[in-house]
Amino acid sequence: MNRRDALKTMGNGFGLLGLANAMHGGQARGVLAPKAPHFAPKAKRVIFLFLNGGMSHVDTFDPKPALEKWDGTPMPGPKVLTDRASGELMKSPFKFHHRGKSGLEVSEIFPKVGGLIDDICVIRSMWSDNGNHGPSLLMMNTGHLLPGRPSLGSWLTYGLGTENQNLPGFVALCPGFPVLGPQLWDSAFLPKIHQGTYLHNGEREPEKIVQNIRNKQLSLSEQERQLALLDKLNHSYLDDLGPQAELESSIASMEVAFRMQVEAPEIFDIAKEPEKLRERYGTHDFGRGCLMALRLAERGVRMVQVYYGNFQPWDSHDDIRVHSKLAATADAPIAALIEDLKLRGLFDDTLLIIGSEFGRTPMIQNSGLERVGNGRDHNVHGYCTLLAGGGIKGGIAYGATDEFGYKAAEKRCHVHDLHATVMHLMGFDHTRLTYRYSGRDYRLTDVAGNVVKDILA
Amino acid sequence: MRASLIAALAVSTVASAAPSAKDLEFFESKIRPVLVKNCHACHTQTKLGGLRLDSREALLAGGKSGPAIVAGNPTASLLMQAVNHTHLRLKMPPVGKLAQPEIDALAEWIQSGAAWPETKVAVASGKYVITEAQRQFWAFQPVNKTMAASSIDEFLKAGWRAQNLTPVAPAEKRVLIRRVTFDLIGLPPAPEEVDAFLNDTAANAYEKVVDRLLASPRFGERWARHWLDLARYADGALGASVDTPYANAFRYRDWVIDAFNRDLPYDTFVKAQIAADLMPDGERHLPALGFQALGGGVDDQLDVTTRTFLGLTVGCAQCHDHKYDPIPTNDYYSLAGVFSSSARNEFPLAPEATVKAYKEHQKKIEDAKFELDYFVKLRSGELSDMMVGKSARYLAAAWRTMRGESAGDDKLDKEVLDRWIDLLKRPNKDHEFLKPFEDLIARKAPAEEAAKWMAEFQVFVSDVFRRRAEMEERNYVKLGGIKGIRDEATRQYTNLESLPILQYYLWRDLASDPYKRDFFDFKGGVYYFGEKNIDRWLGTEWKDHLDRLRAHHTALKESLPKQYPFIHSMKDSDKPKNARVAIRGDAQNLGDEVPRQFLRILSKGDPAPFTKGSGRLELAEVIASPSNPLTARVIANRLWHWHFGSGIVRSVSNFGQLGERPTHPELLDYLAAKLVESGWSLKALHREIVLSEAYRLSTAHNESNYAKDPGNSYHWRANLVQRLDAEAVRDSLLAVAGTMDGKAGGEPGPFADDFHRRAVYGYVGRTKPDLMLTLFDFPNPNNTAEQRVVTSGPMQRLFFLNNPFVAAQAKALADRLGKSAAADEDRIRLAYRLLYARTPKPAEVQMGLDFLARSGSWPQYAQVLLSSSEFTSVN
Repeated sequence: MNRRDALKTMGNGFGLLGLANAMHGGQARGVLAPKAPHFAPKAKRVIFLFLNGGMSHVDTFDPKPALEKWDGTPMPGPKVLTDRASGELMKSPFKFHHRGKSGLEVSEIFPKVGGLIDDICVIRSMWSDNGNHGPSLLMMNTGHLLPGRPSLGSWLTYGLGTENQNLPGFVALCPGFPVLGPQLWDSAFLPKIHQGTYLHNGEREPEKIVQNIRNKQLSLSEQERQLALLDKLNHSYLDDLGPQAELESSIASMEVAFRMQVEAPEIFDIAKEPEKLRERYGTHDFGRGCLMALRLAERGVRMVQVYYGNFQPWDSHDDIRVHSKLAATADAPIAALIEDLKLRGLFDDTLLIIGSEFGRTPMIQNSGLERVGNGRDHNVHGYCTLLAGGGIKGGIAYGATDEFGYKAAEKRCHVHDLHATVMHLMGFDHTRLTYRYSGRDYRLTDVAGNVVKDILA
Repeated sequence: MRASLIAALAVSTVASAAPSAKDLEFFESKIRPVLVKNCHACHTQTKLGGLRLDSREALLAGGKSGPAIVAGNPTASLLMQAVNHTHLRLKMPPVGKLAQPEIDALAEWIQSGAAWPETKVAVASGKYVITEAQRQFWAFQPVNKTMAASSIDEFLKAGWRAQNLTPVAPAEKRVLIRRVTFDLIGLPPAPEEVDAFLNDTAANAYEKVVDRLLASPRFGERWARHWLDLARYADGALGASVDTPYANAFRYRDWVIDAFNRDLPYDTFVKAQIAADLMPDGERHLPALGFQALGGGVDDQLDVTTRTFLGLTVGCAQCHDHKYDPIPTNDYYSLAGVFSSSARNEFPLAPEATVKAYKEHQKKIEDAKFELDYFVKLRSGELSDMMVGKSARYLAAAWRTMRGESAGDDKLDKEVLDRWIDLLKRPNKDHEFLKPFEDLIARKAPAEEAAKWMAEFQVFVSDVFRRRAEMEERNYVKLGGIKGIRDEATRQYTNLESLPILQYYLWRDLASDPYKRDFFDFKGGVYYFGEKNIDRWLGTEWKDHLDRLRAHHTALKESLPKQYPFIHSMKDSDKPKNARVAIRGDAQNLGDEVPRQFLRILSKGDPAPFTKGSGRLELAEVIASPSNPLTARVIANRLWHWHFGSGIVRSVSNFGQLGERPTHPELLDYLAAKLVESGWSLKALHREIVLSEAYRLSTAHNESNYAKDPGNSYHWRANLVQRLDAEAVRDSLLAVAGTMDGKAGGEPGPFADDFHRRAVYGYVGRTKPDLMLTLFDFPNPNNTAEQRVVTSGPMQRLFFLNNPFVAAQAKALADRLGKSAAADEDRIRLAYRLLYARTPKPAEVQMGLDFLARSGSWPQYAQVLLSSSEFTSVN
């Protein structure tokens, strides 16, 4: 019997150790116990695939024929302010094709996602407030441009708890760190237990992904003896003190810790999945992240966020054609994730969000900071976010940017509106999921946000 | 509909001419508080939706959607539709529906004619008006120095009597000494200290313990950490996306420790952190300015300064007048002007000559590097331009080689030829200019046909290179020559020309240097030779020159000394100037200039503009003034909060309208007044608090008290945070294992398992704080943290279960016990005294003996003792 099998057996018979409160499959207690939202939800969990750096919408999911026509000429109208000097309009180097029954146009660099476009709603009229990465990342994650507000995932575990008490309720995966790092999954003033648990999915060994998950010195029976004694000591201490809710839950969490030793390494040991399945996700870190997200969602984790890569890979200032190389590693895993969520019966109650902190300008960028001079600058005035799964009407494009793709023009959808919609799908009236802090009721959507009803299935 | 509303309005206006006293009382008790609390944030001066809700006239006039009320007709009143959420669009307040009794009261009030007391409405004339009601807010009243009682306990006793509460019994002595020791120095008491206290029957035995702890140098290490949370202290640059260490940040941390240990008067402590550089005799306090200099920009400095010292959220007034407190946007920019007229200043702790030499040296390295790179760039460009002229020959040689023949042209360079072959064989090229070559190979075309294409290709490539060279010349001019090229801002805002992208790829594959950009990694073009390998192409003079440039650069780099130590300080800028209001916080859209001065709500009459330099010293003085109603109250409340786990005002960094109200306002004033009276001695205040009976109570439960005051607001039992904080957990593990390195102060060390100094001396990373500390709720060091959250959970338990640091301390503890006593029983007793400050019960000793009999492992037993809840709890 190897260590893992032994732990499993022991985990099942944990009552022997005298620890109370069977968590797994039983009634969980404590702040992370599952809670009912305001009304029946359409989705029970969220997977947010974050293409950090800024995916260009006009080269992926928002075709702009006008750019072909006006290629190489200045954008009509007053000069717009961008981060660096911007030049003339530039057509997309990629071809768009009508895909699926819906016939939505998708760029050739996302062939597999295009094949599933009938499951996806493309919001083409996203907009936000600040064109720099930091503030826009915070807006997309926390609904505010400055640090200090809880992230979407924190609000969700605060409102809903989580289904699996053996794992954190909110997991953020990134090979390295996106810009601003932990601030993007911070719980801010919500209790710390709601903070996203960050895991480095670039690591290959499960033991390196989850801190302290393995004991390298003690044998299983030694650890079992320790736990038995510890449990007695803790209960004797508790008996002396009298009822202490916090202490009780802390003592009980030792059992969860013990069980995590079984469950966590298994989840991140994706070598366990059949090779055929793994191949569809590819060997890139993002693909591994998508596969881990699938496994976490399957085990009841409330929200998983997968960042594409360290720092800001999608920030194609220099050459927009690099998007094809990025998409080559993102397309297959996104498609594989959707397919596998369906195969495992999870698609209908999992909300999948795919997007960036902002899009990119329809103009070329060729300032003295560029090298190739074929890129695009940040564009917060108009961009795309993709939604799929629980409660989402697939195969539709919602809203539109202007002729060139510079600015959201029809049915404009602010990040607050996106958040309001996500909360709605999870069963919340976004105006009523609040937390009182420093004398004020805070919520994810600040004092704004309207549910986008047109995209609801 | 609209017409009828107006008609109704006309009638009701007449009908409500003289409100009765009863109606007015109803208004004041039931209506005004609801409006103030829920509506005024957005519907007074801000006028969201064009609507004001602070006068009857304004309600009747309404906003963009029409009149808010129709007196006498609640059903027709938009206000009622909005608060009932029956209106299609308007659902107010946005944060959630009012309580039903509040809605009913509003309906009743409108029904009976919407009585409103006769007042002169403050007309918005552009000048911000602070109302009398705002001035009367408790926090802005002077501290009341005429005391109703003369000790903390007298105030609390009054509360017990009034609420009919019976305080629980005092804590046992051993519980008390463990509590106060952790509280004051963040470490467990040593067994001898516990014994001494238990055996000391003198009336002042406890006072002696407290005085010993307050005098311990460990006191400052513990209490500085509380302050560092507020100061968002870390050992690196704020806002950097990758950890950028500051080797000198620790001087601020050490200054705080020292200030607490020496009991630096709090007013000086405050002033130094705002303006030590401007204070007479301020030089010794210069490190205090780390509070500002280690922070972020003006917005961050202003926000953290006002929250920390004044308990006011002035930062909220950046984009609009503060929605709750009397802080207009103009006041924000008055203070912003002070901070923007100041700048960070590295105050060197080395002679001027050393500093100057260091900076000159750095500049020389930069120049040498530029000169070297530029020389190589030019030579490299010339080289590839010349090689282009041999392209057809290289292609022909490649053609032959790839067909298995000999290259047959010994004048060609072997390395360049190999690179050509690599490129030709590379799949998925970014352009198709070499596609014909592949076709020719594939269909085994005759040599003449291939030669023809190669010649044409060479002409085409030469043309691409020529156009690129011409373009580069124009770009050079656009940028303004070398000067522009060396200036990042110039480059950022200059639009350059570039080749059509596919031609660029062709040029790049042939001639570009290697580069990594936005996720793309290019290894270098066929004709490219750079700093590492250009040598063999250079003639003697060129080669000599290159070697000289290299040697010069290397010599300079190697002779750069370690940077001199310095203090992160501040200075006034040469030309201090007022800030202009950024309308809605948008720095591109500037409004009026406002004078540099203090907040008007804390000034008598109109504040006087600051006149000395930036005004920082004047600002520091008004903040630290005894007549400032907030400063003393805020710090007294913070001490209370840190000792008792919650403040008299629970929102410790917000004393404004949205903060909590004090549970014991007189007690708070008593503490604030005592603080000022004692010459701002924090230690005196600590002493008074921990010597109080309230502090010494046990944590016992009492059902009848609990029913009346479940939150323990009246301190009928001891109020405290029971789980040790992150630093205390780590420090205690080291302390009981006997492995602590007690060295005080100096450069931080990285948190490795063999880092055995107190946690306050560990390196605090901005982006990657230590995982263990974070696990136990160490706050995010990028924001001011007014209090620590306390979490538990499996990840913390995994730490005790499996972390090698814990295992190592368990081993050390076992060794320590082994050296102290021979018999297992005696070792167990000593362990309990070390860890829990008590002797074990016989059953506990037996449990230990049983465990040891079975496992035979003292380290494993020690690990269990360290993992127990009792070890990381205080009572």
